[in-house]
Amino acid sequence: MSGGTAGGGVSPVPREARPYQGRRAGLVTRLVAAVLDGAVVGVLLAAGYFGLAGLLFLVDPRGFSMPRAGLVFSLASAFVVSFLYLTLAWTMSGRTYGYLVMGLRVVGRGGRTLGLTGSALRALGVVLLPIGVLWVVVGRDNRSVQDVVLGTAVVYDWQPRGAQDHPHT
Amino acid sequence: MTNPATATMRALSPLSALRPVLQTVLGPTVASVARTLDRLLDELIAEVVRRVDLDAAARRLDIEAVLDRVDLTATVLYRVDLRTVVREVLDQLDERSIALVVSRVDVDGVAQRLDLDAVAKRLDVDAVAQRLDVEAVLDRIDLTSTVLRRVDLKAVVDAALAQVDLVALAEQVIDGVDLPEIIRDSTGSMASETVKGVRMQGIEADQAVGRAMDRLLLRHARRSDEPNA
Repeated sequence: MSGGTAGGGVSPVPREARPYQGRRAGLVTRLVAAVLDGAVVGVLLAAGYFGLAGLLFLVDPRGFSMPRAGLVFSLASAFVVSFLYLTLAWTMSGRTYGYLVMGLRVVGRGGRTLGLTGSALRALGVVLLPIGVLWVVVGRDNRSVQDVVLGTAVVYDWQPRGAQDHPHT
Repeated sequence: MTNPATATMRALSPLSALRPVLQTVLGPTVASVARTLDRLLDELIAEVVRRVDLDAAARRLDIEAVLDRVDLTATVLYRVDLRTVVREVLDQLDERSIALVVSRVDVDGVAQRLDLDAVAKRLDVDAVAQRLDVEAVLDRIDLTSTVLRRVDLKAVVDAALAQVDLVALAEQVIDGVDLPEIIRDSTGSMASETVKGVRMQGIEADQAVGRAMDRLLLRHARRSDEPNA
């Protein structure tokens, strides 16, 4: 159990939260985390947009006007940024910014952090079918559609260190 | 008392073979003459005494020389009842006299000559200690300053620490107190408290939603408790 003392050390997890460590997270927490991640993606997109505008202004100050982004381009950009963001975050630490705030972690089979392939597949699934998260409340195991397909899970994990320090068995 | 004339006669008597004769003839005469001489002698002495100025004679007397020839100490010791004299003197002593005597006594010198070790050996220290009011003695002593000044506190602390298993003690303390909780409380910012609250509320909301869905779908319970395998 990751919530208790492990390896003779002391747990930084508050006492009241320890019973939940390692359990699969419910819908509300995951939605809040998803909203936060959506905000992060929005900030990234805005940064990219204004970065592009600044670049255009430097190239041609006289003929500069704010770049027009069509709906398709915007959506495509959002998909790509989301995919890259989720893939990198899950590969490196198993958690995005939203997951970090809400104390969640994506784990694969055996409780290990996903590899690059697993992360990319899951990110693709999430980006293409965001509504799949609602299966969390429909199914009995708190798993989204992507989790069911890929054999992954989202668990409560308030430990600040990586999943390698306290593997979920 | 023997008459001098008679004595002279007795002295001469062995020299005369005619003693019985002479004694008979001359005895009464000699006795009469002797009595007369005795009487004259007494009168002569009385007259001499009457005529001599004894005061003048005394003045001419060398008293020092007389005293030199007399062993006064031996005379006093032999003739005087010293015990009675001392008793009389002591009876006449009053407190002032005694104080005067005491003031002239070198008490320190007396004390230096005392064998205090011998005195101490005869002393029943236990009995003295039993009569001692230890609390009163302690009240008059500033024990704190005494300890601070006289005791090598570092040595005491080192000795005490040497008998303590500090590691075991520390583990005991850590087990007794929720150290991570204290660290969180002392260092935790408002932000971390807020995050903790949001996370806990999220968990509670998850469970509430899950229970609601279970009731809606007529299920007993979900299996989110099981670890991911």
